Amino acid sequence: MTAPPLLEVQGLDVGFTTPDGRPLHAVRDVSFTLRRGETLAVVGESGSGKSTTALALLRMLPGTGRITGGSVLLDGEDLATAAEDRLREVRGARIGMIFQDPMTALNPVLSIGRHLDEVLRAHGDRDRTAVNGAGTGTGTSASTDARAGTGTGADGTARRRKSTRPGKATPSGKAARPGKAARRARAVELLRLVGIPDPERRLDDHPHQFSGGQRQRILIAMALAGEPDILLADEPTTALDATVQDQILTLLGELTRTTGTALVLITHNMGVVARACERVLVMYGGTVVEDGPTAEVLARPRHPYTAGLLAAVPRLSAPSGTRLTGIPGTPPDLSLPLAGCAFAARCALTEDRCRTTAPPLAALTDTVRAACLPAAERAEPLPPPPPPARIDRPAPGAVVLAAEGLRKTYRGRGRRAFTALDGVSLTLAAGETLGIVGESGSGKSTLARVLAHAHPSDGGRILLDGKDVTRPGRAELHAVRRRVQMVFQDPYASLNPRMTVGEIVAEPLRAFGTVAPAERAGRVAELLRLVGLDPAAADRHPRSFSGGQRQRVGIARALAPEPSVLICDEPVSALDVSVQAQIVGLLTDLQRDLGLALVFIAHDLAVVRQVSHRIAVMHEGRIVETGAADELCERPRDPYTRALLAAAPEPVPVTAAPVPAAAEAVSA
Amino acid sequence: MTALTKAAPPLARRPRHPYRAALATGRGRTGLALVGLVVLAGLLAPLLSGHGPTDQSALTLAGPGTPGHPLGTDDLGRDLLSRLLHGIRADLGIIAVAVPLGALLGCLSALAAAAHPIADTVVQRAFDLILAFPGLILALAITAILGPGRLPVIAVITLAEIPVFGRLLRTGILVQRGREYVTAARVGGISGGRILTRHILPNAADPLVVQIAVSLTVAVFIEGAMSFLGVGVRPPEPTLGAVLSQAMPYLAQAPHFAVGPLVTVTALVLGLSLVAEALNREIRR
Repeated sequence: MTAPPLLEVQGLDVGFTTPDGRPLHAVRDVSFTLRRGETLAVVGESGSGKSTTALALLRMLPGTGRITGGSVLLDGEDLATAAEDRLREVRGARIGMIFQDPMTALNPVLSIGRHLDEVLRAHGDRDRTAVNGAGTGTGTSASTDARAGTGTGADGTARRRKSTRPGKATPSGKAARPGKAARRARAVELLRLVGIPDPERRLDDHPHQFSGGQRQRILIAMALAGEPDILLADEPTTALDATVQDQILTLLGELTRTTGTALVLITHNMGVVARACERVLVMYGGTVVEDGPTAEVLARPRHPYTAGLLAAVPRLSAPSGTRLTGIPGTPPDLSLPLAGCAFAARCALTEDRCRTTAPPLAALTDTVRAACLPAAERAEPLPPPPPPARIDRPAPGAVVLAAEGLRKTYRGRGRRAFTALDGVSLTLAAGETLGIVGESGSGKSTLARVLAHAHPSDGGRILLDGKDVTRPGRAELHAVRRRVQMVFQDPYASLNPRMTVGEIVAEPLRAFGTVAPAERAGRVAELLRLVGLDPAAADRHPRSFSGGQRQRVGIARALAPEPSVLICDEPVSALDVSVQAQIVGLLTDLQRDLGLALVFIAHDLAVVRQVSHRIAVMHEGRIVETGAADELCERPRDPYTRALLAAAPEPVPVTAAPVPAAAEAVSA
Repeated sequence: MTALTKAAPPLARRPRHPYRAALATGRGRTGLALVGLVVLAGLLAPLLSGHGPTDQSALTLAGPGTPGHPLGTDDLGRDLLSRLLHGIRADLGIIAVAVPLGALLGCLSALAAAAHPIADTVVQRAFDLILAFPGLILALAITAILGPGRLPVIAVITLAEIPVFGRLLRTGILVQRGREYVTAARVGGISGGRILTRHILPNAADPLVVQIAVSLTVAVFIEGAMSFLGVGVRPPEPTLGAVLSQAMPYLAQAPHFAVGPLVTVTALVLGLSLVAEALNREIRR
C-alpha cells in the first residue's frame, strides 16, 4: 500500500545574502517526506538550517532569505512556486506553526479569546471540501485509529475532535462563516483540548495572566484552530522548564494521536526527540546527515555527527567529577563554499574523500538514510563513545564565600512584591564547585547577582573569607569585586558590541589597576591563551566569534582580576551541546590550575552533577535540598528534586517502541 | 586543557564602518551629492557671483539669461544668482552652528539626567516646558526679546533641537543600561562614569547620527519660515527664506524670482533626508 506522502520536500536549497553582499547557503539539498499523522523531529545545532528549513516550507523566510532550488510538495502542490494568496490559504489552515518563545508570541493587549477569534475568523470561511479534496482517500495510514471512534463526517476526511462546529458538516463551506457565538464556543473547545482549566472564564484573560507553559498551550490551540494537516513546531519547549516541557510534549503527542495531525518538531534536544517523535532527521551545516526511525537512529547512529551529538548529551547517570563529552571544533561557516562533507573537519573518522566529495543521502537500510561515504560501507556499528573520563581535581580547601539568610525582594509599581530570594544560606570552599539548579523563577540568577554584588541584598549576610561584605563601602566593594567575578549566561548580550575583544578583557585590568598600562596587552594575550583563544583575536569585535568563543572571552574577562570565586550564571545554556562540553571542560581545568571556587548555576541537572562537588536545589527563592552531587542525584530527599530528576529527558527511546516500526512496515 | 579553539581567520582585515557602507548606497550617494552641491555653492559664493548680494543695478526684475545676470535680477535690481549663493551661505552658517549646538546641549542634559534621578526630573520638565511652545510662537517670542537678526534664529533652532536630542539619548542610555554587558562591566569593577562614556554612549549614539541629518532638514525649514515672516535675518542681507518672501508679490510676473531658493531648499532637504534614511536603514539592520 503506497499512500502518497502528505508533504514531500525535494532538493530544497535556501540562500541568504549577508550584509556585505556575499551569498550564504543556509540549507543545501534537503529532501524528506512526511506522511499523514506522522511525527518527525528535525534535530540539529544552531546554524544547522533546521529552523530555516521549517520557515522555507511556508515561504516565510526572513530578510534576504529565498528558496534557490528544489520543491515543497503539499499533496502534490508545489508551495515553493505557489502564489502569495495561495500560500496564505495554506498557512494556518493546512500547516500550522508554533514558535519558540511563548512569552513574546502573544500580543499583550489582546485577550486570549481575541487571539483565538482572530485565527478562527481568518480560517472560518475556508472551503473545507476544496482543501480536503486532494487528500480524500489518503486517510488510510496513521490517522485511521483517530477517526475510528468519532464517526464519519460528510466528506469522510474531516478529522474531528468531538467538534460540533456549525457549518462544518455542510458540503459547501463557503456559505457557513461561523458567527461570533460559534467562534467563541469553538475557542473554548480549543482551550479545553490543550488542557487550559476552566476555559470559559479564562477566555477573557490576557497573556500575562498565564504561565509560560499555559501560553505555549494557547499558541498550540491557535495553531490547531485552522485544523491543519501539519503542525510545525519550532523549538516549542526550549524556553520552558523541564517539567513544563514534559507536559507540552505529552500534549503534542496526544494531539497528533487524536486528531491525526502530522507533527514536524524542530529541536536541538535529543531528549525531546526520543520523547516525542517516531522519525528523526538530523541536520548539520545546512544538510541532512541522517534520517530514520527514532528508535533505530538513537540506538545505532550511522553518521558520526549523530553519534557525537548523542554522546554529547549530558546523562544524569554520569557521576560527579567526570568530563562531559563534546565534539571538538566549531560548526562550518556557511558563507564559504562546501567541497566535501560539512562535518569532515570535526569528524574523528574522516577520510580523504570526505573532504573532496559531498556525500549523498543514501539508504543504508530499508528505513535509515545517512549522508556519509564511509558509513555506506561500514557493517559494524560506530564505536561507542568512551566512558566519561575522571577529572583529577584537588579536594576543596577552606571556606571562601558564605551566605547567611540572604533575602531579595523586587517591588514593582502597583504590583505585588516578588520575593526572589527567601533566606538563602550556602558556603563555598576554595577549589570547590557548588552547583545550583532550579527552574526559571527559582531565584538562582538573582542569587548569582547578589553574590557578585551586582544587586544589593535586602537582608542576610555575605561573608568573604569570614569578613562581612554584605554592604561594602566604595573601596571595599572594589576589593570584593576583585575577588568575586562572574560569567554570564548570554555570550551575545554580555559583551559590549562596540569594543574589541582585547578592550573587553583589558577593562577589568584597567579598573583594578593590577597590571601596569604598558603590560596590559601582554596580559590580555596571556588571558586569551588561557581560555583557549588565539591572542590575535584581541583586535576583533565580538560579532566575528561563535557563541562558544564569545563565552571564552567572557571567561577571560572574569579571570582578568585574578579572582578567587567565579560565579557562573548558566554559562552553557545558550550554547550547543557539542560546544557546551568545551566550555565546561575549560572551567574545570581553570579551577584545577588556579584553585578557583566555582558557583555553577544551570537548569540542566545532568551537567550540574558532572561538574559539581555539591549541589543545591532552588525552588521559589529557597534552597530546598543540598548535598554531595552523586548522593543528591541518586537519593533525592525533597519531592521537588525528585520531580526535577524525573522530568529531565534522556536521549534514549522510552521503550524500543514497536509502534513506529509497525507504521514503517505498513507504508513500505 | 580541552582542544584549543582557534579563532577563525579574519575574513576581511577590517570590515567597513557601517556609516561608510550606508553612505555608499545609491540613496546615500545621491543625498551626499545633493548636499555637497548646495554646500559647495554656498562656500564658493564670492567666487561664483560677479556682483555683491546687495549691489543694485538699473535692471529690475530682469529675466534669466540677462547678460551679467544669469538668473536675472530682483525688484530692486540686485543680482539673483549672487543673492541665492550668499543666501545659501547665510543659511548654512546658521544651521551649522545651531544644530550641533542644540545636539550638544541636548546630549549634555541627557547625560545629566542619566547621572541622577533628581537631575532626570529637572531635565525632563525643562524639556516639557520647551516642547509646550509651538515652534513659531517660540520664534516670535524670542525675536520679540532679542530683536530680528541671526542670533534669534540660532537660538530658536537650538532650543527646538535640545529636547529632541536630549530625549533620544536619554532613552538610548536607559535601554543600554539594562543590557547584560553593562552589568558585566559593573561586576568588572569599572567606575560609573567610565561605564557611561565608554560602554553605554557608543551603543546609544547611532540614533543621534540619524537625528542630526533629520534636524538639519528641520533647521532649514525653521530658518526659511522665520526669514519668510520677517523675524529672521535682517534685510538687506539675503537668506533663502528672505529671497523667497521677497519674490512672493511678483510670482505672477516673474516666477523665476522664486525658483532659485525653492530649488535650493528642495535639493538641500531632499539630500539631507536621503542621507538620514540611508544611515537609518543601515543602523536598523
